[in-house]
Amino acid sequence: MAGGAVLIAALIVTVVSIVGRALIFAGLAPIPGDFELVEAATAFAVLAFMPLCQFHRGHVTVDLFLTRAGRRPNALIDVATNLAMTGAAGVITWRLCLGMLDKRSYGETTFILQFPVWWSYAGALVGAAVFTLVCAYTVWRSLDEAKTGEARGGGKEIGAQ
Amino acid sequence: MSHLELGLWSFPILLGMIFLRVPIGLAMLAVGFFGTWLVTGSWIPILAQMKSLTYDTFSNYSLSIVPLFLLMGQFATRGGMSRALFKAAETWLGHRKGGVAMAAVGACAGFGAICGSSLATAATMGQVALPELRRYGYSGALATGCLAAGGTLGILIPPSVVLVIYAILTEQNIIKLFMAAMVPGVLAALGYMLTIAIYVRLKPGSAGQREPAGMGERLTALVAVWPVLAIFAVVIGGIYLGWFTPTEGAAVGAAGTGLVALANGGLSWRGLGEAITGTAVSTGMIFFIVLGATVYNGFLAFSQLPQEAATYVASMGVSPWLVLLSILLCYLVFGCVMDSLSMILLTIPIFFPIVSVLDFGLPLEEMALWFGVIVLIVVEVGLITPPVGMNLFVINAMAREVPLTQTYAGALPFVLSDMIRVAILLLFPTITLGLVRLLY
Repeated sequence: MAGGAVLIAALIVTVVSIVGRALIFAGLAPIPGDFELVEAATAFAVLAFMPLCQFHRGHVTVDLFLTRAGRRPNALIDVATNLAMTGAAGVITWRLCLGMLDKRSYGETTFILQFPVWWSYAGALVGAAVFTLVCAYTVWRSLDEAKTGEARGGGKEIGAQ
Repeated sequence: MSHLELGLWSFPILLGMIFLRVPIGLAMLAVGFFGTWLVTGSWIPILAQMKSLTYDTFSNYSLSIVPLFLLMGQFATRGGMSRALFKAAETWLGHRKGGVAMAAVGACAGFGAICGSSLATAATMGQVALPELRRYGYSGALATGCLAAGGTLGILIPPSVVLVIYAILTEQNIIKLFMAAMVPGVLAALGYMLTIAIYVRLKPGSAGQREPAGMGERLTALVAVWPVLAIFAVVIGGIYLGWFTPTEGAAVGAAGTGLVALANGGLSWRGLGEAITGTAVSTGMIFFIVLGATVYNGFLAFSQLPQEAATYVASMGVSPWLVLLSILLCYLVFGCVMDSLSMILLTIPIFFPIVSVLDFGLPLEEMALWFGVIVLIVVEVGLITPPVGMNLFVINAMAREVPLTQTYAGALPFVLSDMIRVAILLLFPTITLGLVRLLY
């Protein structure tokens, strides 16, 4: 939800900025550095959306060849892929954290607004950390499903695209 | 093993993982990650890359257009505009032979102008048009087939999420790509209508008749679709005229569609929450694939496979058309099992360098636009071909009384129409490029 709010905020910033630019003759002005805000907001929103996608089983898979394999083998594959996903999320979070520390030690700032780049990294890092935690939860959820053979723990499937 | 061999081996491994139901983004990420390790012989390059790669990919200004277009599609789905579009198309076309089905296709095309996703278009128009088609006595095969096919117009008629991704991958101008897709998109809609006209004449029992609507009713229905036209004109026109960047255009479009949905009462707090969750899940899915593809393509670049493949194909001296046809055939085959976006992200980095060294008598930029539009159409055919045609599933799930085999059969004439259109567009690149040449 925080990610959604930020996406809407980015939308509003952009629209206000266009209106500002269109009305320069009337003494208004576009928001300076609006695209820097949008970039930072998108990065934050996207990483905040990752755990949601994982929770709702939103990632695209090709189901063609294993639909006939039965419930149990498929549930075991889910455990394996969720474990792998947790590993990937862990690596992403770990490297993002180091990347943030780099940016902080260099004191890098954005071009127009001059706010430190590591702030945006820190925002994105929160999403990545939650992503890792949710991945770990889905491992547990799929283990439970493999044991009982039933769908568990909410997160109804939401159609892709 | 040489770098090149590593690059080649990555395909079967990747496909194997994907067919074992590993999420496509994760499979690309893993193969790319370990592949880079093998090619460079050290963990340091890939780990150093990962420090900034995630943030840089997700904060890419051009990519921020994607969640905004998705949000716009979500608002459009809830905004009641699908009903107005169908009503307008139906009063004008409904009395013809097969007219209600033609109206469904026309309404899909109109909806595609504010929605960049095929599944959403098929699902939204299906809800509105399917009951009407059944009411006027259209057969299950024709009703579900024409809606599944009409849904693919969602992605062909701009704005289109897949075209945005293609534009970023090949460094093309997004708005020029949108312009290039416009005429083929309209042709697609006309082709589908023609298919319906032929279909109902060959199988007279498959469609019923409807009384012609009066002129007053027609005009009222037409006036009701003005928000759709206005949003489309402002977004596409505004980007073209340079009022705003494509990302800003998407923001304006999303805001506009949101306001219309709000005015129509289609957007309660709960609806807003659902729209955002839907956007969030799709965004997460798409960006994870984008991240995986970025890592995988980095590995491919290290292995030098794309350049080598391009040099090799150029030195083979076979006809460029043969190469192009083989590539399109590849897309058709994979389209049967994979979704369009993953396919584009996975294959364009390899196929595009190959195609760009071939000579079709077009400048490189025009070739890129032409190739992109044709690939998009071919990839979309996968949505209406068995066994994994997502549009067929979506529509079939709404019409419980129609067996899936009938939906397959109903979609086949439209697949044929797609094939004919691809052949025409291949033979006459001017159809695709004419509008771009005219405007720039």
